[in-house]
Amino acid sequence: MATPRELTISSVMTQTLTPTIADRLRAIVGQNHVITHPDRLVAYESDGLTAYRVVPRAVVLPETTEQVSRVLAVLHGEGIDVVPRGAGTGLSGGALPTPDGVIVGTARMNRILSIDEQDRLATAQPGVINARLTEATAPYGLYYAPDPSSQSACTLGGNVAENSGGPHCLKYGVTSRYVTGLTVVLADGEVVRFGGAGTEAVPSLDLVGLFIGSEGCFGIATEIEVRLLPAPEGVRTLLGIFDTMEAAGRAVTDIMASGLMPAAVEIVDHATIVAVEASVFAAGYPIDAGAALVIEFDGTEAGLDDDADRAEQCCVAADAREVRRATSEEERLGLWKGRKKAFGAMGRIAPDLLVQDATVPRTRLPEVLARITEIGQEYDLKIANVFHAGDGNLHPNILFDRQNADELDRVEKASREIMSLCVSVGGTITGEHGVGVDKRGYMPLVHNEVELEMLRRARWVFDPNGNLNPGKVLP
Amino acid sequence: MTLVHELRSALPDVAVRDPSELGGPIWPGMTPEFVASPSSTEDVSRLLVWAAQEDLGVLAVASGSHADPVSDGRFVALDTSLLSGIEEYEPADLTITAGAGTRFATVDDALRENGQWAPFDPPAARDRSMGGLVSEAAHGSLWAGYGALKNHVLGATVVTGDGRVLRLGGKVVKNVAGYDLLRSVVGGRGRLCVLTSVCLRAFPLPPQERVLMISAASVAELIDSALAVGTAPVLPVSIVVAGPLEALDGRAALVVRLHGAESTVDADQAILETHVGTSFDRLTEASDGAARILSQLQDLGAVEDRCVEVSVLPSQLSGVVSAAADVGLGPMVVDSYAGRIRIGGSDLGVDPVGTLREAAEQAGGALRIVRWGRADFPTGTPQSMATAMLSERLESIFDPGGVLWPARS
Amino acid sequence: MTAGGVRLAGALEAQRERLLPCVHCGFCLPACPTYNRLGDENDSPRGRLHLMQAVVEGRLDASSDAFQTHIDRCLGCRACEPVCPSGVEYGTLLELAREAAAEARPPDMLTRSLLVVMGSRPLRGMLFIGGRALRATGIAGWAVRHLGGDGVAGTLRFALAMLAATTEAERLGRPDASAVGVAPTTDLSGAMDAGSPETVPNGEREVQAGSVGVLQGCVQDGLYGRLNEATARTLDVNGFNVRIVTRQDCCGALHAHGGDLRTARRLARQNIEAFERAGVDWVVVNAAGCGAAMKDYGVLFEGDPMEARASAFAERVRDVTELLAAVGPRRGAPVTCSVAYDHPCHLMHAQGVTSEPLQVLDAVPGVEVRVVAKADECCGGAGIYGMTHPDLGAHIGGDKVAAVRDTRADLVCTPNPGCMMQIGAGLRIEGSCGDVVHPVELLDHSYQRAGYYR
Repeated sequence: MATPRELTISSVMTQTLTPTIADRLRAIVGQNHVITHPDRLVAYESDGLTAYRVVPRAVVLPETTEQVSRVLAVLHGEGIDVVPRGAGTGLSGGALPTPDGVIVGTARMNRILSIDEQDRLATAQPGVINARLTEATAPYGLYYAPDPSSQSACTLGGNVAENSGGPHCLKYGVTSRYVTGLTVVLADGEVVRFGGAGTEAVPSLDLVGLFIGSEGCFGIATEIEVRLLPAPEGVRTLLGIFDTMEAAGRAVTDIMASGLMPAAVEIVDHATIVAVEASVFAAGYPIDAGAALVIEFDGTEAGLDDDADRAEQCCVAADAREVRRATSEEERLGLWKGRKKAFGAMGRIAPDLLVQDATVPRTRLPEVLARITEIGQEYDLKIANVFHAGDGNLHPNILFDRQNADELDRVEKASREIMSLCVSVGGTITGEHGVGVDKRGYMPLVHNEVELEMLRRARWVFDPNGNLNPGKVLP
Repeated sequence: MTLVHELRSALPDVAVRDPSELGGPIWPGMTPEFVASPSSTEDVSRLLVWAAQEDLGVLAVASGSHADPVSDGRFVALDTSLLSGIEEYEPADLTITAGAGTRFATVDDALRENGQWAPFDPPAARDRSMGGLVSEAAHGSLWAGYGALKNHVLGATVVTGDGRVLRLGGKVVKNVAGYDLLRSVVGGRGRLCVLTSVCLRAFPLPPQERVLMISAASVAELIDSALAVGTAPVLPVSIVVAGPLEALDGRAALVVRLHGAESTVDADQAILETHVGTSFDRLTEASDGAARILSQLQDLGAVEDRCVEVSVLPSQLSGVVSAAADVGLGPMVVDSYAGRIRIGGSDLGVDPVGTLREAAEQAGGALRIVRWGRADFPTGTPQSMATAMLSERLESIFDPGGVLWPARS
Repeated sequence: MTAGGVRLAGALEAQRERLLPCVHCGFCLPACPTYNRLGDENDSPRGRLHLMQAVVEGRLDASSDAFQTHIDRCLGCRACEPVCPSGVEYGTLLELAREAAAEARPPDMLTRSLLVVMGSRPLRGMLFIGGRALRATGIAGWAVRHLGGDGVAGTLRFALAMLAATTEAERLGRPDASAVGVAPTTDLSGAMDAGSPETVPNGEREVQAGSVGVLQGCVQDGLYGRLNEATARTLDVNGFNVRIVTRQDCCGALHAHGGDLRTARRLARQNIEAFERAGVDWVVVNAAGCGAAMKDYGVLFEGDPMEARASAFAERVRDVTELLAAVGPRRGAPVTCSVAYDHPCHLMHAQGVTSEPLQVLDAVPGVEVRVVAKADECCGGAGIYGMTHPDLGAHIGGDKVAAVRDTRADLVCTPNPGCMMQIGAGLRIEGSCGDVVHPVELLDHSYQRAGYYR
């Protein structure tokens, strides 16, 4: 379990909520669903990013849109900050509490409200777990396409807040492609409806699109309408083992140029392979390999073998040492194992792990990775890379021990250098984890002051008083 | 000194033409003070600042624009056609950046030379500018397979009403650090800013396109089949019903497109035919009849003077299509996956459109006027008070002086 | 820091390897039955680990309401373990936390009494004699139907319902019984007629699969004597040499879960010695909770001189269905019925045993297995959870009972006495006939019909 670094905001004393306000909130959501005792607030001091800890002032767990509206109205009236929280799986500190803020959690808003088989739509509350929606729609032959790696735990509300992607968004696109309508509670408690399937002809600006990815700063989405897709008939998964990262990169470029549309193209680098194979999650990847490439195709059964053959040819042409192909679901999971278990494996070999997230144009990946290796050497840090190769989204994982102050300092310097590097080749500082609190400092790398000011004003459009998730996104 | 002279001295690099130098009016009954053609983002910025000082409105226009302006008064036509050309294209990255005034044909040709394309096909797309397509969020029939245009716009450079230059998005697929302001610009109809450069996501050309068709006497008769296609276990890239089509002697057609390898589209076709319970004709590019059907279907609504669009849930299409037919509205193109109906014609009347709007709204949908001309303008479905308020605030941060003249929608 | 905090801190420091991997990713949240129902992260595995960490860091007192309540409210189902990408051994950490909690503040009267009684052979002997007498009179069943559901009456009713649920399934006891099971309208009397085996029995097995000693257990011994007998008989038919192991005791799981690790170690030592003396190849267990605890004896004695012996012992512990599945159980005579199968947490999550009980059922021709929806989720049994946490226990148990009823199967089947009692009690309180069997009971019944025991 990671121990926290000293952080300026964590030293601020958390204020308790006055009994009157707590009682008003309890009257709205029920006695047991407002947490105010300091001991019980400790569990909420971090989300998936444990580098920061701030104990909130209270936690409120409403169950309906109306309750969210009334809760926000009370807090707005009292001038109290609100930090929305889903399952707290985010890796950028987007749900980190503020010392005088109240967490409004969606954990109890976990009902799927409707599934419309004919129009292939579903409406769900924000606390519904991503994977549960696919489970619920499976009987209709449908599924919800965005599949962030945390899909077994993360919520749809969180996905909307972060515009989540996932391994399969290469073919299917990210959350914003699937959300058709939102019911949103604004900072002052006003309930508004954005979009909605069938109302595209209304001459509104794309408020749904603007809201998605706003990291909890624009409002709390309380009903999320999403488009479902027919579940693919079949799937083929290949694992290519390469001596060098450069060769794996060539294979990816060939595959993408060949007109094939893989559902996922994922790479783990040499350092990751070594970490995985040394752990309890050993997946049978050769430890002297330079890179392992997982390629997946899905769709109509009939064409999949052809697709897989052609991808295999691309790998062979790029000097793959070997190409394995899964023939059963069990084998498929086996091929994915080294990729999916990478974070867990790395979590076990070092006391602390920083999962970074950035994107670069795909063709710049080999040079960027080579440079990241150099940065690791310069700062004497172990960095292992896992990435969505198809869309240039890389996750450098920096292993370290927080107890070592000098090392912590080097981690921060190396992170900044990696971010600058990615921006300099035309990429950006986040692919799918969001800016949150962790990357606010990197925002000036991608936006000039005029643009940052514009983002501040955009926040004002939705939340003029700035009560919603303050201290996030903007530097 | 006339305005034109003032501008020429203030902004020597901006080409300025007197309206009289143009072949005819840009909009019926409206004449700009002059037409300015800046060739850089910086000049667009300067022009906007200058226009604000002179209390002039600015209406962006590019080749192929069909927009109806909203305001009255003195205005400058900002012609984007010199903001033209492909700025960056790295085929292996599957992204292409071009000036907002670039004709889509230029982009499309460059992509196709490299075995790539941008999978959206709004009416008459090749003649339109990149900026125009993006600000209208124009879409065609490929929504089912590739999603809306907004999913393909990765980034843009824009100039706000008060002349600030913003780079929105980026040139990588997942590119948003901060709030996604680009989303409000796509489909913003020029309300917020002037686009000067656009970055699109490219796709490899599909190995095979199969176009399937069944025909019937009217659009209404084909809606059920189209809906059946839309609920099949395979999703085509396009499901469209159109009619009446001259190429089919006034009959209507359901056209379904499949993309993929030969073996995949064979299997998909078989699955669709089993699911719908009908066999389809296969249209081949080579046949003249097919080409005519497809081009009529493609451009319907693009060439007519008037055009309206309805959106409803797919399950509500039948009723709305019948309502349109009852009041004699047509010809129409129906994207049954997206639940959109596009109706074009030079003789669309205000009353029938009003009736259709009621039918659409009763079915939970909406109607908007895509293009009409200036006289006796019918109203489309309004947005809610709350979204109108937020939209107004958004406009105020992009264009605090109210310089930009948006296109009507 | 309190004594409990210091002890937990020391214990957790010793368990650093186990605790460190928690990266706070939150994957465990949706797997947790209490979090799913309460929505409070304090009632999630991640939240509880965080509370433990806070105690270690001295930021939270082990006697605090927060620590006490939320550690206590955990069912201990360990559904969080298989979904943890970092392999955090939650069950072990929970036991340490429970110990710290119990030291800082003694548990409630009911729990304490139960632990005392279960830890002492004479006392629990008396309890179970009383229980069996009560069960035989039918008073328990009557009371379940007539007692109210609130307060003390509710707790008593639940206890009696659990007792009543230990009654042998009518169907298996009386083959001519009709209208039993979860779907009371189904007449299956015909199906229960003893018929000739579907396949010819493969004769007495000559293979010697090894020697086994059966853990008699406390509840099994007291209320499920027939299950222990069935375990011995079916293993015998499948070539195992079943030996009597004397001077064994309760496995200590209840005590470990209840924070009384000292008694747990005392009982464990007693068992290790008893089974070592018997010199058996396998220690066979038919209760998932006991098996999970015994497979963890090595951990229980970590740092203790007993550790090596305890680990060696733990290596030999097997669930009865594991042993039967390993030899491919001999097929018996048909028993035509449908069963609603539910996975016990301590088998599935704690021991990773999922397919083996189903393989045992496969050996009984005529059994149609209907796996309960969300079969991987806890039934709410968790010892005496239904009595110590009546509201939440009833909520969790109610969901399970509803899922069981949705299968419309004739019988409920689950390989753990605790779950058998919990689900059976839930069904009885609802007024359904709560016939619940262990897979081995069904196999035993099938073998009896096949005449293997003559």
